[in-house]
Formats: sequence, C-alpha cells, structure tokens
Amino acid sequence: MERMKALALLATVGPMDGPEGRSEPAGCSLEATKAGDLAAFELLMRQYERLVLVTALRLLGVLEDAQDASQEVFLRLYRNLNRVGASGNLSGWLYRVTVNVCHDVDRKRRVPAPVEDAAGLAALTADPQRAAVETERRRALEMSLRMLSKKERAVLVLRDLEGLSTEEVARALGTTEATVRSQISKARVKIRDFLERYFRRRA
Amino acid sequence: MNCSDWEERIALHAGGDLPPTETAEVERHLRECAGCQVLASGLKQSLAWLKEAHAEPLAAAHFSAVRARVVAELEQKRRPLWRWAWSYGLAAVAVALLVMLVLRPGRTPVRRTPVVATNHPPVVVASEPVVPPPPHRRVARRVVRANVPDTSSGEPLIVKLQTDDPNVVIYWIADRKKGD
Repeated sequence: MERMKALALLATVGPMDGPEGRSEPAGCSLEATKAGDLAAFELLMRQYERLVLVTALRLLGVLEDAQDASQEVFLRLYRNLNRVGASGNLSGWLYRVTVNVCHDVDRKRRVPAPVEDAAGLAALTADPQRAAVETERRRALEMSLRMLSKKERAVLVLRDLEGLSTEEVARALGTTEATVRSQISKARVKIRDFLERYFRRRA
Repeated sequence: MNCSDWEERIALHAGGDLPPTETAEVERHLRECAGCQVLASGLKQSLAWLKEAHAEPLAAAHFSAVRARVVAELEQKRRPLWRWAWSYGLAAVAVALLVMLVLRPGRTPVRRTPVVATNHPPVVVASEPVVPPPPHRRVARRVVRANVPDTSSGEPLIVKLQTDDPNVVIYWIADRKKGD
C-alpha cells in the first residue's frame, strides 16, 4: 500500500524517478526528447512505463492488449511532447491517455479476453493449496472487475489501485469529484456483492 | 434513515474518501447497525484482496518489450527521410532529364527510310504493261531489279534499267553498307 501511495504521489507531482529508482528527473528527459533525442525519450519511458503498462493491464486484464495500449500511449506522448510539456502534469496526461487508449482497445477487441489471461499480476507461491486459493480469488476479482462499466472500472483502478486522490482521478478522467465519488462507491459495492455471491456459491 | 441510504457513504468510508465529519457519522451508524457492519467489512475485505492481487510487480521484460517496440517504431518513422533521400533525388533527376529530352528544341523525329525487302529470294519484278512513251523521252522505261543479293552479306545491289532501245541496258550498281 505504501509503495502504491509513493508511486502515485511521484506520478502526480510531475517529474519523478523511475520505478527502479533512477535519479534522472523527467523534466530533463522531456526537454531532451523535445530536441529530438530518442535516447532521452527512452529514459522518459523508463520513468513512466510502470504507470502506463500496469494501469493498462488493470484496465484491460490482458498483458498483450496492455502492451499494445502502452505502445500507443508512448507514441502519442512522443507526438504531443510540446503540448504535454506545456501542461506541466505529465503523469496526469498519461493516466488520461492510457484510459482513453484502453477504452479504444477494449472497443476494438472482438473476442472478450479470457479471465485466465488476467492473472498477469499473479504471484507464484510455493504452497500449492494457497496458490489454488489465490488463483481462485484472482479469478473472482477479475470477473468482478469485468462486471463494472468502463467508467466505474477506470475510477476504481485509478483511485483504489493506482492510489490517486479523488481530485486527481476527476482531473485525469475529465469529470467532477462528485461523479468520481458516486462511481467509486457503486464500483466498490458491486465488487463486494459479486465476491460475496461468488464465494457463497463455491462454499 | 434507511440502511440503503448509508451504502454509498459506507463504500466511500471503506476507501477513506469521506471528510472527517461524515466519517464520524458513518462510524456512529456502524456501531449501531449490524447489517451495515457486515457491508463495511465486506467492502474492506474485497478492497484489500483487490489491492493485494494487483500489488505484484510486473516482470521487467514486459516493460522492455514495450520500450523496444516504441523505439523501433520511432526509428522507423525517422529513417525514411535519410534512407530514401537519395532515391527521391535520383527520381527527380531522371524526370528532369526526361523533360529535357522531350522538350529539346529542333528535335525532329527520325524516320527510317523503308528498306528494300531483300530478305526474299531474288526476284525479277515484272513491270506494268509498257505504255508508249512520249516521243521526247529517252530515259529508261522499265526498271528491273536483278540479281538482288542478300544484303546481310554486304554484296552490292545491282539494278538493271531497260531503255526503249533494246540494245541499251543500264546497270546501276550500288554499294550497300552492311546492315542497311
């Protein structure tokens, strides 16, 4: 939880260190990239790749789709460097574009992704019984996420998984804080209800 | 107030999204309502599971794959200007040369003179029936090509000219260049 909060905080304050603790501030990379330095852009990607890919994976549930979406997000970033630089909030821009691109990918997806694929973040555990329980739980969680509307899922991912504040979520999605609060509460209740029904039936 | 009216606020409370005053109200209600306590604990449990399931870091290879794809695409978009510049230049020069050739002043189309069909076996062409010449004309009336050689061998062309006077026969021998 602390790690998520820290990452989210870094993401929202603009220039930030990469997920692997690089000290190069994003501002330098951004300026160098604007000057046409591809290596600087690669450095910029390293700093924000976790934000983009993990958010995309949480929204889409399939690693390949999330990678496609991330690629598109970074290509859009490259094309809009001047505009993004002027806005001064790169992470906010990235969250917004990631959500939009993921919605596009989801719309174009002809076949719904199998739930098993959504275990991209699954941990491997040595205890087979515990692993089975975890797999079952992840499966249920992924199914519950799929029951949400796109907007509810985006709000839930940004607020509860990415750790953004209600205000930041509203800014990223271009909506109001009241709407975010309404959507996030509905999403939480839906997930809780689904999980309760799911495990009651299993029991 | 019905418990369903508390649902939204309890859900917000579970994620820590309520201001302090509302938080106090919700907690007071939770102390008094067993049903809402179940709802609140279920919400907190599902949120905890959700965060736990998504807390695992992704493998570095997944990130580097995206990075590589983006860099490759950007390099590919950058390259054509340099890679194809020479070919665009070459095409422009070729077009310019073509235009110059077409618009060259004084250019007349070269027309090949019809070549006497000499590939056929030697024949003597029978002329039209002899028309009586006007009295003043003393030149040849009939032209008989004879002994037409294979021009490909470069032998001279011999043309036999018959005049009105059967005793006078004119032979015209012409050297031909090879290939004519």
